Amino acid sequence: APQKPLYLCSPFVEAALVKGNFKTIVMLPKYVDIMEWVAVNMFDFYTNLNEFYGVLTEFCTQQNCATMSAGATLNYTWINQDRKHVHLPAPTYIDYVMTWVQNMLDDDSVFPTKSGQDFPPSFPSTVKHIYRQLLRVFAHIYHAHYAQILHLRSEPHFNSLFAHFLAFGTEFELLEVKDVRGSSSSPVGVGALWERWKGMGILGG
Amino acid sequence: TPGGSKPNDYIYFDRSTAGFSDEVLPRAKAAQMKLEHYYKVAVDAAIERNTRRVELERRLQVDQTMSDDRKQRQLQQLGKKESTFLRLRRTRLGLSDFRTVKVIGKGAFGEVRLVQKTDNGKVYAMKLLNKEAMLQKDQLAHVRAERDVLAESVSDWIVQLYYSFQDPVYLYLVMEFLPGGDLMTMLIKYDTFSEDVTRFYMAECVLAIDAVHQLGFIHRDIKPDNILIDKDGHVKLSDFGLSTGFHKQHDSNYYQRLFESATGQSPANAAQASRNSVMVNPINLTMTNEQIQTWKANRRKLAYSTVGTPDYIAPEIFQQKGYGKECDWWSLGAIAFECLVGYPPFCSESTHDTYQKIMQWQYHLAFPDDVHLSRQAEDLVRRLITSADRRMNVPEIKKHPFFYGVDWATLRSIDAPFVPHLRSLTDTSYFPVNELEQVPEEVPAVAGDAAKDLAFLGYTFKRFSISSHAF
Ligand SMILES: Nc1ncnc2c1ncn2[C@@H]1O[C@H](COP(=O)(O)OP(=O)(O)OP(=O)(O)O)[C@@H](O)[C@H]1O
Repeated sequence: APQKPLYLCSPFVEAALVKGNFKTIVMLPKYVDIMEWVAVNMFDFYTNLNEFYGVLTEFCTQQNCATMSAGATLNYTWINQDRKHVHLPAPTYIDYVMTWVQNMLDDDSVFPTKSGQDFPPSFPSTVKHIYRQLLRVFAHIYHAHYAQILHLRSEPHFNSLFAHFLAFGTEFELLEVKDVRGSSSSPVGVGALWERWKGMGILGG
Repeated sequence: TPGGSKPNDYIYFDRSTAGFSDEVLPRAKAAQMKLEHYYKVAVDAAIERNTRRVELERRLQVDQTMSDDRKQRQLQQLGKKESTFLRLRRTRLGLSDFRTVKVIGKGAFGEVRLVQKTDNGKVYAMKLLNKEAMLQKDQLAHVRAERDVLAESVSDWIVQLYYSFQDPVYLYLVMEFLPGGDLMTMLIKYDTFSEDVTRFYMAECVLAIDAVHQLGFIHRDIKPDNILIDKDGHVKLSDFGLSTGFHKQHDSNYYQRLFESATGQSPANAAQASRNSVMVNPINLTMTNEQIQTWKANRRKLAYSTVGTPDYIAPEIFQQKGYGKECDWWSLGAIAFECLVGYPPFCSESTHDTYQKIMQWQYHLAFPDDVHLSRQAEDLVRRLITSADRRMNVPEIKKHPFFYGVDWATLRSIDAPFVPHLRSLTDTSYFPVNELEQVPEEVPAVAGDAAKDLAFLGYTFKRFSISSHAF
């Protein structure tokens, strides 16, 4: 039988920086604009994930990660300008994702920062897109770099960040079950982690 | 199972960073610390937000006169403010969001500028602190303390901080602009104050220092340069560069440990060692008139130097024995002396001589014959410039005969003896702006690394302000 991934094993699966239910910091605060709430949280998820990915860049190389893997039989593809699905090395793929997200966060017409400026009508669908791509980055790190995270003693931190991300995605319907589970022939590794955490009751809901 | 507790998928994993580059560990540490900080702030913010809402809801509930419609609008208003605040958090404030009007002050680690926020024209004072210089001088703990006091304070006696941010070279503190200048500049201009004027400024300082203490901080560096004058002529304290929060982990050791855990090494600490040692040589410790003039001429230069002036620092701070908030009352005594006499009690030609005089204050505290002081004024100074165990505390100070007639409760709302005449919001006539143009620029620092940035973690700040001044 294939070996169970480290992140699903004890004690790592329970490791957490933030104990308890994420509901309290995920929920929309009363009277607050939902767009602002989602925007600032996506901004923070991006910043925090970027920070951790920055730690792992020397392990996530063209040689070590020739594909954007997230499970034993799952490699994500990038859609290029010609609308073709292409396989990219993980560092290239992630670089594209992070640059793309950064550009949007910096774009005042997508994430407005001036006072009195409204969010565009397309904002909810943009955020869903961003969420989906960030989920892939998380999925790759769990699948390919979890041992390094353990060596660096960062698993409580990274677990909490991901659990928070999942709880937030569930609360605001950004998370698609098919994205986190994958298909039966090529399941997403972290799909099982999501199930485990749901069972442990840390994802709120 | 034997032993009982471990699940059967329990893994013993051998952790090792052999083969990892030198960069990775400090970076991982930095990422961890940032995330810890992030969640701490997120939880605090959620609690505070909730408190604001519950408080408003409660207030509205007991209000019999307001219509339900208006109540609803007030709640929506709060939501709007909270939303605006969230937007502000996303906004990366930087130097380009502020336009410099003039350099109005110079300090050890950079300058202070009068600035206007470009989008709304609001006026602020912006203090720049050179990161590299602060690291070299072991001032990290201090800058954290400064940010924390300013950020926590909602006191009329303490300069308000609105934003702080950083780039690879500088830290930036954006705070309220006090157009009246500082007490040092006033003393340079007027030489001495009458006892009535001194009483006013010292009484205000008593309340201001007490406010700092009540926040749980010791200022440690109270001097005329840090006593600022607002548009109505009242006093506010700034510059908590040296203040220590005794209920917090602001000691240098804390940052030292951070560094060590991140890099596995301890930076050399010569600056610290030399700062704490006091050499004692027998030299001439009395001042001639001429020397006093020289001291005055150099006063401002001293304020711009990295070492700063020790003139107002209590002797126990120079000793390794530890000290408490009494040290701030010593400083007040030294300032009172200067207001009345024209120079501080232990001023000397060199900072080294000043140290010595302070350490042997019993022999060197002397009131010159040619200055006439009331008995009460001299007694006030003598009961502040004295050993820590005999120094007056706040209740004693407030009851001291020198302050006879002071109404402590209404002090801040009476007319100040000197009210700045301002022609505009950006009037800088109370600042030595011409002199400042001569002061050379700091040498720019080199780019940051993970360990260095770690030291400035949690520095970035944006104030949630109900009065919505920050927006
Ligand atoms: N909020 C402010 N409004 C107006 N002027 C200010 C303000 N803050 C500082 N200044 C001016 O700038 C001068 C220097 O500021 P400050 O003493 O805070 O910095 P510093 O000298 O670098 O601190 P340190 O004592 O740690 O060296 C003050 O004496 C004052 O004249």
